[in-house]
Amino acid sequence: MATARPEFTGQPEPDTRQVKQDLAEVLLAVEGVTLRFGGVTALTDVSFDIRRGEVRAIIGPNGAGKSSMLNVINGFYHPQEGQVTWKGVTRSQMRPHEAAATGIARTFQNIALFRGMTTIDNIMTGRILKMKAGFLEQMLYWGRAQKEELAHRAEVEKIIDFLEIQAVRNTPVGQLPYGLQKRVELARALAAEPELLLLDEPMAGMNLEEKEDMCRFVLDVNQEFGTTVALIEHDMGVVMDISDRVVVLDYGKKLADGTPDEVRADPAVIEAYLGVSHGGEASQPVLDGANGAQRS
Amino acid sequence: MNFVATYLLGPFGEMIAYPPGVLETVIAGLGNGFLYALVAIGFVIIFKSSSVFNFAQGAMVFFAALNFAAMLKLGVPWYLAGAFSLLVMVVLAFTVERVVLRPLVGQDGLSLFMATIGVSFFIEGFGEALWGGDPKLLKIGLPEDAIFTIDYPWGEALGLDIIIQESDLLAIGVGLVMVLGLYVFFQYSRVGRALRAVADDHTASMSIGIPLNQMWVVVWALSGFTAFVAATVWGTKIQIEPTVINLALKALPVLILGGLTSIPGAVIGGCIIGVSELMFETYWGQPLFGGATTEWFAFVLAAFFLLFRPQGLFGEKIIERV
Repeated sequence: MATARPEFTGQPEPDTRQVKQDLAEVLLAVEGVTLRFGGVTALTDVSFDIRRGEVRAIIGPNGAGKSSMLNVINGFYHPQEGQVTWKGVTRSQMRPHEAAATGIARTFQNIALFRGMTTIDNIMTGRILKMKAGFLEQMLYWGRAQKEELAHRAEVEKIIDFLEIQAVRNTPVGQLPYGLQKRVELARALAAEPELLLLDEPMAGMNLEEKEDMCRFVLDVNQEFGTTVALIEHDMGVVMDISDRVVVLDYGKKLADGTPDEVRADPAVIEAYLGVSHGGEASQPVLDGANGAQRS
Repeated sequence: MNFVATYLLGPFGEMIAYPPGVLETVIAGLGNGFLYALVAIGFVIIFKSSSVFNFAQGAMVFFAALNFAAMLKLGVPWYLAGAFSLLVMVVLAFTVERVVLRPLVGQDGLSLFMATIGVSFFIEGFGEALWGGDPKLLKIGLPEDAIFTIDYPWGEALGLDIIIQESDLLAIGVGLVMVLGLYVFFQYSRVGRALRAVADDHTASMSIGIPLNQMWVVVWALSGFTAFVAATVWGTKIQIEPTVINLALKALPVLILGGLTSIPGAVIGGCIIGVSELMFETYWGQPLFGGATTEWFAFVLAAFFLLFRPQGLFGEKIIERV
C-alpha cells in the first residue's frame, strides 16, 4: 500500500495538470454528505471527488464548512447522510485511525503537534503505524526492533532534509516559531507516506516568504512523491497558483467546482466572496490576488 | 525560650545524638514512600493520557489484593492466584472503558471524576460481596523479616546497630524496577510511544492513526497492573481489608507534591512524604504530641505545598488562554 517514492532529481517536472485531472482515477468521492450538529447544519448535500495525483483546493468564506468537510473525510465527524468512497471502498462511517491506516494523513488549522516532544520525535510518531517489531523486541531494543528503528530514523531524516528543518531537529516543538511548527506538522503527516494529504489552511498566519516556501513544499510533495493533496486555503493567489481543481463551499453547500479559471469567473462565487453590488453601475468585481475571504 | 528548646531544637539534638536512628527512620520512611508511590503511579498513568483523575485507584489496589488473597485462602498456588488477580485487573480495565468511560466521551472532567468515584464504591462492594470483608493475609513468601545489622559482618565492621525491615527494602526495589520498566516501556515500545502521543494531544494522535478507545483500555490495564504490584508488596506489611482503600488515599498528597503527570515525580513525592512523615512521627509526634501524626502529616504538608507550587514538583503548569 505504501507507494515507493521517486528519487529527488532536482529537475523541474513538466506541467501535466490538465492531463492529470482528465485521466486520473477517482481516489476519493464524497456523495451527498449532510452533517448536522444538533440544530445546526454544517454541510448540506455536498458531493465532489478527488482524483489521484491532483492538488484539490476547498475554498469558501469563514464558516462555509470547509474544515467540517476535511473532518468528514478523515473520520473525525460522521455525516448523518451521504457517504465517502475512499479507494473504491464506500463507508458511511470512517474512523480516524482507519483513515490513517489506509493512507490519509492531515494537518490542522490550529497546529496539533505533540508540544512536549522534539521535532524528530514528532515526526517519528507519524511512522507509528509502520512499526512492526514485537513488544519484547522493542522493550529490549533488540533484533528486528533495532533495525527497524534505524530504518524509520533514516526515512525521517529524508523528510527533515526535504522540508529544510535540519536546524531544529532536536528542539521541543513548543519553542518553535509558528511557521516552523506548521512545517513540522507537514513533516509528521508526510512521515506516514500518505496517498492523500489533507492540509487545513497550511499557509494561514504566514508571511509572504513562509507562504512561498510552503507552496513550494506542497507542489514538490505532489509532483515528486505523487501524493494527492486536498487543501483548504484562504489566500486566493495561492489557491489559483497551485491547485488543479477547486471546489467552493458557502453556508455548507457546494457553490462551484472546476479549474481555478472556471471558479474565478463563476458569478455565484464572486457573489459569495464579495457580495452583490446594489449600487447599479459598480464595476464587475474580480477574484484575484490576496483579497481573501471577506464576506461583505 | 522553653518552647523553642522543646519543639525546635530538642528533636534535632536527638538526631545528632544518635545518627543511626536517623538512618533507620529514613529507610523505613523510604519503604512507606515507595508503597505510596506504587499507588500514585497508577493515578499518573491514567491522568497523563486521559486527564481523568481516577479516584478508584485505591479501590483497584484493594480489589487486586483481595482477589489474590482470596485465591490463596482457597489453596490455589501463589503463581496461579497472582495470574488470576492480574487477569481480573485487565478484564476490569476493559469493562470500565466500555461501560463507564465510552458513554462519557467528551464530557467534562468533573463528570468523569464523579464516575470514577462510583467505580470505586462499586469495586469495593463487589469485592466484599464476592469474598467477604474479613481481613485476609496476602503472604506469598516475599521477604519481610527484620534485619539486625549488627548480626552481619558488614554491620559489625561499620559499628552500625539498626533494624531494617526486609519489606521496606522490597518496596524500594520493586518501586525502582517499576519506574525503570515503565520508562523503557514509554520510551521504546510502540504502544508506549502511542501513549505519550495521546498524553500530549488527542486530536493529533487520532490523525496519525492511534485508536483512542484501545489506548484507554491499555492505560487502565496498565494502572491495573501497577495496582496489582502495589497490592502484592503491600501484602507483606498489612492485612487485606477494606480500610486499605483509605491507606491508598495517601497517594493524593504524594501526587500533589510530585505533580499529576510525572512518574518520577510520583516516586520522589512518595519518598518525601514517606520519609518526612516518619521523621516527624519519630522525633516530634511520639515524644511531643502523643503519636499518630502519620494520619494527618502528609495532608498538611500537601496543603502547604499547594500554596507555593500547585502544579507539583514535576507537573506541567497548566496555563489556560482566556
